[in-house]
Amino acid sequence: MDLSTALSRARRNFLDDWTLHAVAIASLVVAFLCLGATLFAVANLNRIAEKWGNTQQLSLYLKDGTEKADVSQLQFVLESLPEVAAVEYLTPAAAQKKFLEQTDAESDLASLPTEVFPASLEIKLTQGVPEGRLQKIIDRLQQLAPVQEVESYRGWFEHLASLLQASRWSASVLAALVAICVIAVIENTVRMAIAHRSDEIEVLKLCGATDGFVRMPFVIEGAIQGSVAALFSILLLLVAYAIVSGQVGYTFATLTGVSLTFFSPQIGLAVVIGGGAAGALGSLLSLRRYLSV
Amino acid sequence: MTLARESTTRSVGRGSTSFFRQRERPDSSKHAKPILVMEEVYKYFRRDVPTLKNVNLKINRGEFVFVTGPSGAGKSTLLQLIYRKHTVDSGRILFSGRDVARLTKSSIPFLRRNLGVIFQDFKIISHWSTFENVAVALEILSIPKRLIRSRVAEALDRVGLAGRGNEHAGDLSGGEQQRVAIARAIVTEPALLLADEPTGNLDPGLSIDILTLFEEIHEAGTTVIFATHDHSLLQAAPHRLVMIDDGHVIEASQGLRAWAARTQSMVAS
Repeated sequence: MDLSTALSRARRNFLDDWTLHAVAIASLVVAFLCLGATLFAVANLNRIAEKWGNTQQLSLYLKDGTEKADVSQLQFVLESLPEVAAVEYLTPAAAQKKFLEQTDAESDLASLPTEVFPASLEIKLTQGVPEGRLQKIIDRLQQLAPVQEVESYRGWFEHLASLLQASRWSASVLAALVAICVIAVIENTVRMAIAHRSDEIEVLKLCGATDGFVRMPFVIEGAIQGSVAALFSILLLLVAYAIVSGQVGYTFATLTGVSLTFFSPQIGLAVVIGGGAAGALGSLLSLRRYLSV
Repeated sequence: MTLARESTTRSVGRGSTSFFRQRERPDSSKHAKPILVMEEVYKYFRRDVPTLKNVNLKINRGEFVFVTGPSGAGKSTLLQLIYRKHTVDSGRILFSGRDVARLTKSSIPFLRRNLGVIFQDFKIISHWSTFENVAVALEILSIPKRLIRSRVAEALDRVGLAGRGNEHAGDLSGGEQQRVAIARAIVTEPALLLADEPTGNLDPGLSIDILTLFEEIHEAGTTVIFATHDHSLLQAAPHRLVMIDDGHVIEASQGLRAWAARTQSMVAS
């Protein structure tokens, strides 16, 4: 059977049973929306992790009443280390101002007294400082007299990394669930289509149609249903993204330091192709179970 | 009956035998090469009660054979064994020298491409157009679309439905639907045409029309096996007659033909 005949028969079947296919596609769109939303979250968490993972930074909180001379001396020592790229001194007033700028919550927190914000040395490290060396620097800095606390943000990164890992796992599980859902929905749709077209199948068989000739349009229909549903859900997510990014995009960027982005076209293409493959598989399983040619 | 035949000729006016593509007319004498041979065929649907018993039948190329017998006698089963809807339980069926019973499942479609099968219930797809119903037999053979158009048009012309390819098959009358089914069966120019009670759902006038159409197809060189229990058709056309009675196949002589007609009439009444 040539592909053009199979495609034209699939097209005719689509038009004949368009309500059945529309219902199936609508069900699948919901499943793909869940997957797409998770992929969207994973993509943005990934960006946050990349952004903050690459920014090797330490905050050196100083004890109250530290002399300016001690601060200058400490700054000089730090700048002489090969692992340190830059050191910036933040007074309590400067720290308060920076915090209020970043949080975009001026109205609530503006009344906090300046003393709440400790003075600090913000240290930017060079790229690629090994984990062991970084730990040694932190240990030594913690032993210095004017230092109250050293914040390496490692705990935060670990939390972010575990959150990202959990999101990836969720996306994988969800992808598997969506695949099962697509296969089940299309299997059921094809089963109904087989019942609806039993006369047609009988005629084809009587006219000498091979198994492939009878089955191929069903497989094409399943693949089209899966890929169209995936494509449609991505388009819906894009619309939702356009609306949401306009409203919360700035806040997100301020809080996380990265702008809200949609997942890459490659991931979108993979979802569409995956949807088509799952649809074809569902169709084949249904044909195997319900169509004896 | 003469009147019926005349009216038929008028109603199928376009389908005169001279119109049809003439094949080399096969010799149907006893020395001719057989197209179908059934040897000691048995078929059981219930244990110990054979539907067909020791069936021996030889049909030559170019023959027109009526298969008759009361309802449930096994006429349809006989045809179903030929197109491999069912398989014989013993014996063999040779179609063009090949044992149909020994075909693998994947070979059955290729057997059916050499057969045209027509049913009492037409088996056409009502939501398809007339053209699509006929064209499907050629699509299966992967024939180019351009050729499909011309051959379908020709087949529709042969059955008296020229220019009606775009009509919905479901909108046609019973007789016209059966003509579509016949067009689908002959469009591939099969070696053997199997008709299983093709007039069973039609009124007597239309039945004669359809029989005439089969005769015209036969005249063009196609071998036809026509299963019917309609005695008026048996009397209308002097073709070879095979009776199935209690699972046995009996070759009917002219005397038997009249007897068969009377029996059928009695059964029908």
